[in-house]
Amino acid sequence: MDQEILDEALEELQATLGDRATPDLSHRIGYSRDWSPRHRSHVDLPDIVVLPKTTDEVVEIVKIAYRHRIPVVPFAGGTGMAGGVAAWKGGIAIETKSLNQVLELDEANMMVTVQAGITIWDLNEELARHGRWFPHQPESKRACTIGASIGCDNDSTFGLRYGKILDVLSNVVMVTGEGEAVRFGRRKAAFTSTGYKLLDLIVGSEGTLGVVTEATLRVFPMPETRLVRGFVCRSLEDGIRALERMLASGLGVESAHLNCRRRLRFYTHAYREKYQKEPEIPDWAEAILFLSFAGDEEVVKFSLEKATRILLDEFAAEGVKEQEMVDGWWASKHSLDFLPFRQKWPDSQRQKKFGAADIGLPIGRVQEAYQGFLDISSRWEQDVLGMTVYNESPNKPTASISFAVFVDDSTEESVANFYRYVREMSAMAVEMEGTMSSYIGDGDRLGGFNELEHGASYTYMKRIKEMFDPGGIFNPGKKFESRWIPTP
Amino acid sequence: MDTNALEQLAEDIYTCNRSRCGFCVADCPVYRVKGFEAYTSRGKMLIARALLEGLIEPSEEVQEILDGCLLCGYCQARCALNNLEVITSLRSRMNQEGLSSPEHQQKVSRIVEEGVLFDRPVPMKREGTTPLYLGCLYQSKPVEARTIISVLERCGLDPLVVEETCCGYFAEAAGFEDDFERIQEKFTEAYGEHADQEILTLCPTCTITLRERYGLKVKHAIVAVAERMEELNPGQLELRATYHDPCHLGRMLGILDEPRDILRALGVELVEMEHNRTFSSCCGGGGGVADTDPDLALEVAKNRIRDALGVGVENLITVCPTCEPTLLRGASRLANETDVFVDVRSLWDLLDEALPQDE
Repeated sequence: MDQEILDEALEELQATLGDRATPDLSHRIGYSRDWSPRHRSHVDLPDIVVLPKTTDEVVEIVKIAYRHRIPVVPFAGGTGMAGGVAAWKGGIAIETKSLNQVLELDEANMMVTVQAGITIWDLNEELARHGRWFPHQPESKRACTIGASIGCDNDSTFGLRYGKILDVLSNVVMVTGEGEAVRFGRRKAAFTSTGYKLLDLIVGSEGTLGVVTEATLRVFPMPETRLVRGFVCRSLEDGIRALERMLASGLGVESAHLNCRRRLRFYTHAYREKYQKEPEIPDWAEAILFLSFAGDEEVVKFSLEKATRILLDEFAAEGVKEQEMVDGWWASKHSLDFLPFRQKWPDSQRQKKFGAADIGLPIGRVQEAYQGFLDISSRWEQDVLGMTVYNESPNKPTASISFAVFVDDSTEESVANFYRYVREMSAMAVEMEGTMSSYIGDGDRLGGFNELEHGASYTYMKRIKEMFDPGGIFNPGKKFESRWIPTP
Repeated sequence: MDTNALEQLAEDIYTCNRSRCGFCVADCPVYRVKGFEAYTSRGKMLIARALLEGLIEPSEEVQEILDGCLLCGYCQARCALNNLEVITSLRSRMNQEGLSSPEHQQKVSRIVEEGVLFDRPVPMKREGTTPLYLGCLYQSKPVEARTIISVLERCGLDPLVVEETCCGYFAEAAGFEDDFERIQEKFTEAYGEHADQEILTLCPTCTITLRERYGLKVKHAIVAVAERMEELNPGQLELRATYHDPCHLGRMLGILDEPRDILRALGVELVEMEHNRTFSSCCGGGGGVADTDPDLALEVAKNRIRDALGVGVENLITVCPTCEPTLLRGASRLANETDVFVDVRSLWDLLDEALPQDE
């Protein structure tokens, strides 16, 4: 960026925000990376960091950025896996986490309106005081904000019952490319048949259409009881078909995660620490299905009994004998109890870094894709961590899949190999009539290459982008451009 | 030097960069006020990496961020890494580059030269059998110190108070490693004769320093009181209150239940704040922040008082000579905004009130 232009913009920003606009390198470094795999020394420095507290302040920031044609990159939890917040074209990083107020809890309509920078964890702590909860919960929820969930369309532990963020989102306020704050969505209704569904466009737009500053969300009564159990299955296919059967039987399953045998190890640190041994998993077991049921105690108990009968009688599965292992998995996934998380997280990434291809597939092609995963990861010398199938749509099995590896981030070439792995996995997904990304997003990795998936509709996407963002300032280098994967 | 110290911590620094879980962010008491990532542990880990790789040089900008850390350990409680060691190494690195605040320099010089952190209005001494290390803060507050000694006497203890020098925690925390070594020598010279005895302590920070840096056998006096509560016959106080865990006492020494047990024994109706026990939130008095950025310390204190108001209590009890005045200041200032004053009291004062006076 031209320094003179940046200086002018900074002066204007500081006139609005005071010391909440800074060009200090020590602050810019804090916004230099997310959780995406890249060389360990990689940094993407924004030129300026700003910290707004209101929608009006965001409007002013965007107006200044538009006037000077300076990139604007919203930054939230910083836990994204696709470089969505990487300010690799410089510009203004907007620290959104100070937009963290609950604006209205409308208990009669079971809705809450929040500033979009509130973390999902903090929102749930507030809701818990009123006996409510918000079920869109990625594993990163302690850091991840509502705005980030909207921007990235990320995953949720409870997707099988409640879906993803769009299923619990009624409207948002977004500041568009010329600095106009506009409410998009369906007011407080759960649906609308009028107009175009612009809210759907915003979900997953990764800050390329505007900056979301407010959101109105559906909340739910806190369930009385929850039971979590694990079952070992004879194949991945069995696990999926058993889940289909449970749902067809009329059961309401709150969450279902199907892990390949290899992936299980990632979730059993707590067990190993406590018992100094590996959990007992039969040799024949190829998959482990974790289920949770929540609601009134008698219903939950009945649901578990019925699910168990289906799994054992119809699919010759077995319950996981060691409940401590299941509890450890659940803690690392949902309650984020400190010890299992600590063991699983930094300690698992001391030498290499977690990375994943997150393709989405038709439900019948999971087994086939798993084989492709083993072949492709081997070709690019990736250290296989394993596969988890997430169910992210209400009341039906879906294949939002994490094909995870540990990435060697010590050299540029080894990181490049990871992105070659992602490229081939993505191409495989398209061949299988699926999608390249089911919860991580394009970020700075799939842009351009994703035309392979979208074909002629890609041109319409570009036009939409131009309409929302005429100055081309919002999160440039994303969606339509990649640094890591060449356009075909 | 500290590049080495930082290099030795490189694995932790890079692991944080790889993990980016952000668990240290939301409830970091400084981040709650400042809002920029740099003030969080993961932000400082990025700065540490940038220093290792020469992307950033030591500067006043960096120093300002490091001086803004309370060293409260909240981040470390959320993490598997040695966050505090990285942060103190960073401070030490700044110090060796000549980047340290005049306020901190002055305090450390005084410890080195006079062996004290604060003025000591009266020499505190008492003949007795069990060594009691008062620490600089209680040495500077003889009235409070005498009250505590009186409580300990009523608990059947016979404290021995002798001349003592500063434990030097502040020098280490502020990054003055060499000075800390000199202070340690002085301390050992003055207090070394009690090295084989169990020493009672009053200040949580001194407790941790005496234990970890001097290898002494120490017991915080409140634990000694808790052990004797069943034998005492305290009066019952009509009080609904919350308890603030001092960072060093609770999170770092694990003394979480004893103060609560005492409060219950005194008939106090205890209400927990949202951030409690291991994940308690700092009062604002840690890390020397109050010296370099008193406004920040005050805002942190006000947030802690807001935590109390958030659970509907107007009495906050704690047991630390730093937390008490810091929180009281926060409570007074916040009262101007809310018209509600949260009274901050020492657990020692409650004990003094409830335990029968000797005839």
